[in-house]
Amino acid sequence: MKTSRSGTVDHPPREHRTSAPDAPPRAPKRDLLDLAGMDPAEITALLDAAARHAAAATGDDPPPLAGRVVANLFFEDSTRTRCSFSIAAQRLGAAVVDLFEEGSSIRKGETLADTARSIEAMGVDAIVVRHAASGAAHLLARAVACGVINAGDGRHAHPTQALLDLLALRERLGAISGRRVAIVGDIGNSRVARSAVHGLVAMGAEVILIGPPTLVPRSFESLVDRPGGRPGAVGVAHALDPELPTLDAIMMLRVQLERQAGSAISNDFHQLYGLTAERMRKLPGHAIVMHPGPINRGVEIDSEAADHPGRSVILRQVALGVAVRMAVLEWALRDA
Amino acid sequence: MTDAFRADVAPLAPPGVRSPLLLRGGRVIDPASGLDATADVLVVDGRIAAVAPRRLDAPPGTSILDLEGSIVAPGLIDIHVHFREPGQEHKEDLASGGAAALAGGFTSVCCMPNTRPALDTPQLVEFIRLKGAALRQCRVHPVGAATIGRTGETLAPIGAMAAAGAVAFSDDGDGIASAGMMLKVLHTCRAVGRPFMQHCQDASLTPGGVMNAGPLAVRLGLAGWPRLAEEIMIERDLRLNRDVGAAYHAQHLSSGGSVELIRAARARGEPVSAEVAPHHLLLTEEACATYDTNAKMNPPLRSAQDIALLKQGIADGTITVLATDHAPHAVDEKGLDFNAAPFGIIGLEGAVPLYAKALVADGVIDWPRLIALMTIKPARLVGLDRAGYGALRVGGPADITAIDPTERWTIDAAAFRSRSRNAPFDGWAVEARPIVTIVDGELRMLHDPDGLRLKPGA
Repeated sequence: MKTSRSGTVDHPPREHRTSAPDAPPRAPKRDLLDLAGMDPAEITALLDAAARHAAAATGDDPPPLAGRVVANLFFEDSTRTRCSFSIAAQRLGAAVVDLFEEGSSIRKGETLADTARSIEAMGVDAIVVRHAASGAAHLLARAVACGVINAGDGRHAHPTQALLDLLALRERLGAISGRRVAIVGDIGNSRVARSAVHGLVAMGAEVILIGPPTLVPRSFESLVDRPGGRPGAVGVAHALDPELPTLDAIMMLRVQLERQAGSAISNDFHQLYGLTAERMRKLPGHAIVMHPGPINRGVEIDSEAADHPGRSVILRQVALGVAVRMAVLEWALRDA
Repeated sequence: MTDAFRADVAPLAPPGVRSPLLLRGGRVIDPASGLDATADVLVVDGRIAAVAPRRLDAPPGTSILDLEGSIVAPGLIDIHVHFREPGQEHKEDLASGGAAALAGGFTSVCCMPNTRPALDTPQLVEFIRLKGAALRQCRVHPVGAATIGRTGETLAPIGAMAAAGAVAFSDDGDGIASAGMMLKVLHTCRAVGRPFMQHCQDASLTPGGVMNAGPLAVRLGLAGWPRLAEEIMIERDLRLNRDVGAAYHAQHLSSGGSVELIRAARARGEPVSAEVAPHHLLLTEEACATYDTNAKMNPPLRSAQDIALLKQGIADGTITVLATDHAPHAVDEKGLDFNAAPFGIIGLEGAVPLYAKALVADGVIDWPRLIALMTIKPARLVGLDRAGYGALRVGGPADITAIDPTERWTIDAAAFRSRSRNAPFDGWAVEARPIVTIVDGELRMLHDPDGLRLKPGA
């Protein structure tokens, strides 16, 4: 199997041992593991497809993925991401099975690869995987012949979240290129931030990562080392207020309060970095407020900002998430 | 010896080949005496009977090994292996580990105490020593735990373990976190005349750390294990030991900065030494980029710059021992995700060609120096030189390794004698191969696919 630096991997069609003889012809294996290394044309094509889905009142007829089966394999609970993928698959006509492995199957003595292979053996066409370990989606993709879509692996990547962020930005601001976007919070532990950085830089945006030094390591400045990449496309800052007037968008991350004990998050986070009504007023008039959810009101974001009718696109992000996942599932499963 | 202690692996050499043995025409390298010349070596009754630069006559019944073109050296010594017995025999045991050692040209190993239970009593130390001897593969020298259960809290019975045969002490797998405990361990090791081997890792700086800290770890979303965590523990230990003077040995150096710390301490005349493992000279953190768990080591793989500094430390004599940190793990364990999979790789069966590639082919050191770092230097550190190991001395024990420095072959993990297969070097094309391992005068490994090297005695 070919693996590459690129997050998307095209594989030659492989014989599928377990398909019934009358099953639909098997699509070539396509994985979406990561946005790192993906080129702007690929990203744009997915965003365009998602935009068409978002605008459509009804689904295609006949549904493009009729007869396909998508398995949501979640080792970490995430109601909203799982629902979003389920709705996306169902709107395309695919059947959906939800497998929630309580805690980790490792505890039962089964490896992640074993679990994936046994689910694949039931005849699924794609696996959507969420796991607490960085690299779990890569491991799974190597183990199975069906397509794998990463719905979040540890601190590493959450590519469909990044795509929906890009779509929300494009919808409100037009071109993404040349925009300045801040991501604020626990960057070091965030897969959302990593994938957003890869997507934003690929599309020509400038990213500033903001938070306390314990949560925003300097090494993030070299996160995106794409060939021909612009130096300085990713910056790190430890003070939020001076950046506010320069931003086109501000993305607040959920602060994992449960991680506070013994860790790097101090209790002055809201005072220094919380998006209050006062801080929101320092943003340029056109700037938008984003959040991947679920939000902690009064911690990283105040209600005035989260619910601001002109600036907040938080609920629109959720809506676009379904459209993005439709585009990704279709890309992964439709016969090439 | 009882049959229960026999190895369950196929023999590596024709059975019954005992002394006398004549090793004919090899390039005999004995760093302890400075010998490097074409010579014959005669082995009788487990002892070296003669080393002569002329053609020796073989007494009747002598088996003759034609070693022209090969290096004949003292038996190799690896002071850092994990044989997993007792407690984790699904990964390795004394028999499979001993077979792997012989296949790799090693006649003596020091096995680390992070077994289950840990080797923290004289009874367990004696068990390893006796069972290792009964297996009649490589010689097995136990390293005792420095603290009970390797938890760093209570001093282990170091004196009793030394008396039972422990050649050194270590909590390998973990560094000793508390400076106060470290001081007690150093004083005790000094009193019993045994070295202390530190796993240099300040764990408070490596929470969840699974690879080198830096941009690649950030990109992969993996927690970092910074060089600082290794260096700060060495700095602390050197400071503590300045008031003690124990033989302090830093295990598996990974950071270039550590080399400078050891170099400075040795320049001050302190009894300090250090080792490396092959993977830290041949692989960088880039090997982690595909989440390959065979690139997950503790300490982690680092950068090309670190490799250059480690090699410099080997060239200038700062690093005194070439070890392997042979760390077997089962396929299903290494098949877990990168965070959950255990640290380490197996090293014994590829050590010679890999060190030759990293050091000799690269011009860092020549064969005599490489052999010194794998024989007399480690022997002196753990006191095995007193029994004559690590040297080719007439009258001394016949532990001998022969290496064909030109044989080209491909490392094949599937063919390893080890019970485990976790080797990132699988499939590498290499040069140089151990072809003969003699322990206690007994031919225990012979790589002679064409049957041209051995002429058995009548």
